[in-house]
Amino acid sequence: MFEVRFHGRGGQGAVMAAQTFAEAAVLEGHHAQAFPYFGAERRGAPVRAFARVDDKRITIKSQIYEPDMLVIMDESLLDIDPVADGLKPTGSVVMNTTKAPQDVDIGVAVRCATVDAIPIALETIKAPIVNTAILGAVAKICDLVTIESIKTSINDRFGEKLGEQAARMNSLAAEMAYARTVVGICKGERTIVRPKVWLPTWKELPQGTALGEDTLSGVTVGPGGSLGNYTGTWRTITPKYDQEKCVRCLRCWFCCPEGCIKRLEDDHVKWDYRYCKGCGICANICPADAIHMVKGAMEP
Amino acid sequence: MMKVLSADHAVAWGVRLAKAEVIPAFPITPQTLIIELLSEFIFDGDMDAEFIPADSEHSAMSIAVGASAGGVRTFTATSSQGLALMHEMLYASPQNRLPVVMANVNRSLGAAAGIWLEHNDSMAARDSGWMQCYVEDNQEALDMTLQAYKVAEDPRVMMPLMICLDGFVLSHTVDGVDVPEQAKVDDFLPRFRPLYSLDPADPKVINPIVPPDYAMEMRYQLDRIMESSRQAIKEVDSAFAKRFGRGYGGLFEAYRMDDAEYALLSLGTATSTARAAVDELREEGKRAGLIKLRFMRPFPHDELLAACKDLKALGVFDRSLSFNRYGPVFTEVRNSLHELSLPITDHVGGLGGRDLTLGHMREIFANIERSAKGEKVRTCSWYGLRGEQE
Repeated sequence: MFEVRFHGRGGQGAVMAAQTFAEAAVLEGHHAQAFPYFGAERRGAPVRAFARVDDKRITIKSQIYEPDMLVIMDESLLDIDPVADGLKPTGSVVMNTTKAPQDVDIGVAVRCATVDAIPIALETIKAPIVNTAILGAVAKICDLVTIESIKTSINDRFGEKLGEQAARMNSLAAEMAYARTVVGICKGERTIVRPKVWLPTWKELPQGTALGEDTLSGVTVGPGGSLGNYTGTWRTITPKYDQEKCVRCLRCWFCCPEGCIKRLEDDHVKWDYRYCKGCGICANICPADAIHMVKGAMEP
Repeated sequence: MMKVLSADHAVAWGVRLAKAEVIPAFPITPQTLIIELLSEFIFDGDMDAEFIPADSEHSAMSIAVGASAGGVRTFTATSSQGLALMHEMLYASPQNRLPVVMANVNRSLGAAAGIWLEHNDSMAARDSGWMQCYVEDNQEALDMTLQAYKVAEDPRVMMPLMICLDGFVLSHTVDGVDVPEQAKVDDFLPRFRPLYSLDPADPKVINPIVPPDYAMEMRYQLDRIMESSRQAIKEVDSAFAKRFGRGYGGLFEAYRMDDAEYALLSLGTATSTARAAVDELREEGKRAGLIKLRFMRPFPHDELLAACKDLKALGVFDRSLSFNRYGPVFTEVRNSLHELSLPITDHVGGLGGRDLTLGHMREIFANIERSAKGEKVRTCSWYGLRGEQE
């Protein structure tokens, strides 16, 4: 059994990547499965998808905790998610990065294939969606699939959904990435930190489902609470506020889906960047051109 | 004060005495008498409550959930298709721990639709997390309404409770009912103190999406609370008996069970007719007994085990069916008594409003008696059915 965990952000196509990989493995004569794990996340949120390949029918229906291979579609995830948790020391990693394998540090020193997938995606499919390009790199390091089976699988899956032209461009992305992929050994210096998650016993769990604005029994998250869910980590573009231009109409404050725009005494506004996920609704709704989305997660 | 009331009106009087503050409802026969009388009480100024005519039963239950989350005592009533329509919203109050009280006047759920009595409406809601009790007569309909709030709002419980009463056979039957004094009820049933409530001054989120990390612990809490609510139900019934002079046995009542060799377990109005059958059999020298099941949830498993351990045979009456696997009450009873080597049989009757007679009851007891004597009788028998049973 060969197990793969895909790490991406909502919108990058991690789920499609896992499914396409599984189909390629089936085309090669293996048995395979692929499945996502969804929360209530949206574009930009860290997402996981999984794939298993074996020579016989796969009956396990559960997530993967000790993968043989990691596919990391967004390098910035390493700073917010214990991506390499459980990766077998004999395993491998495929990563979308501008770095060479020896300069990549995922916390486990394993065989590593790197490719700068974003320029390839921009050139081929005209969007920074790297799922098909990264599969070219997967074909380079993983013996279970070939670039041919990956391309056939892309044609099948993307052709059906997006049309022939899109299938051809996605297929080309995989082919270009296959050619540009560099294989080496990555570094294992980073400490893999598992986030502290509040996991109360059934007796410790507060009764009912009410979540106070502040805390419950000294913890910042109730069952399903959003206080501890820092959606700011999803952000890839960040609102920049020009107070001079602001007409204090408060439309941004009203429309922010995370409620992370705070209304000040004088009706100017400020952002709580811990929760701003960079959706851009505030910039879009602003009638005075006072909010601009700038690239990157840095607070302006 | 004695009044001659229908059971529906007895429930309405119970709600009035319990001082429910918000009553959202949608009319449906045979429940409508309840909310009609309540709306009159409110219109006449005899009740200080908000009556909200909802646009459906789904909305009625949604409003009840919201009102209860607002920290007020809440009541609604429905029947049959109405209960089915609010099924989705039934699940909101148990896990949110909102002690809504509702009367469901049992009526068959179509197709093969009719306005008449069957238990297939409320039995389908058995797994929603609501406590569920079945009453036998008009006095119990009123008394149980008072007990329902006391149980549901018990700090150990804080769960919704559904009072089920048989459509027409009970709901539209008038009988003498002792309506207690308001002061005595006020003393028995103090003001509702919610676990938490919606308050603009103390903002909070209620009922968020719950990820897999927490949902199982919450379900286990609910399971344990339902299990332990049996104690609160017994205590409340004892306290009620002390205060008002009428007790109902808590989770079930054992009638002439002391030296019984065989017995029937029944619920709702079937119990009344079964009492008459037992009395006749006793006069004939037969050692027949009766168990009146009051609560379907929580189910009194241990208590029943103790009550049935000396029996030679037990029959169970069902007024609804899980097709090809007997009636739900039978399944529950047999499940709870599996350690006893007791023949347990299912007896189905009165579906879709078919009249259930004393003659049927005598037939049921005759069958149970045969099984007590070691004769082989069918696991499930229907009464009043035309044609041979397979």
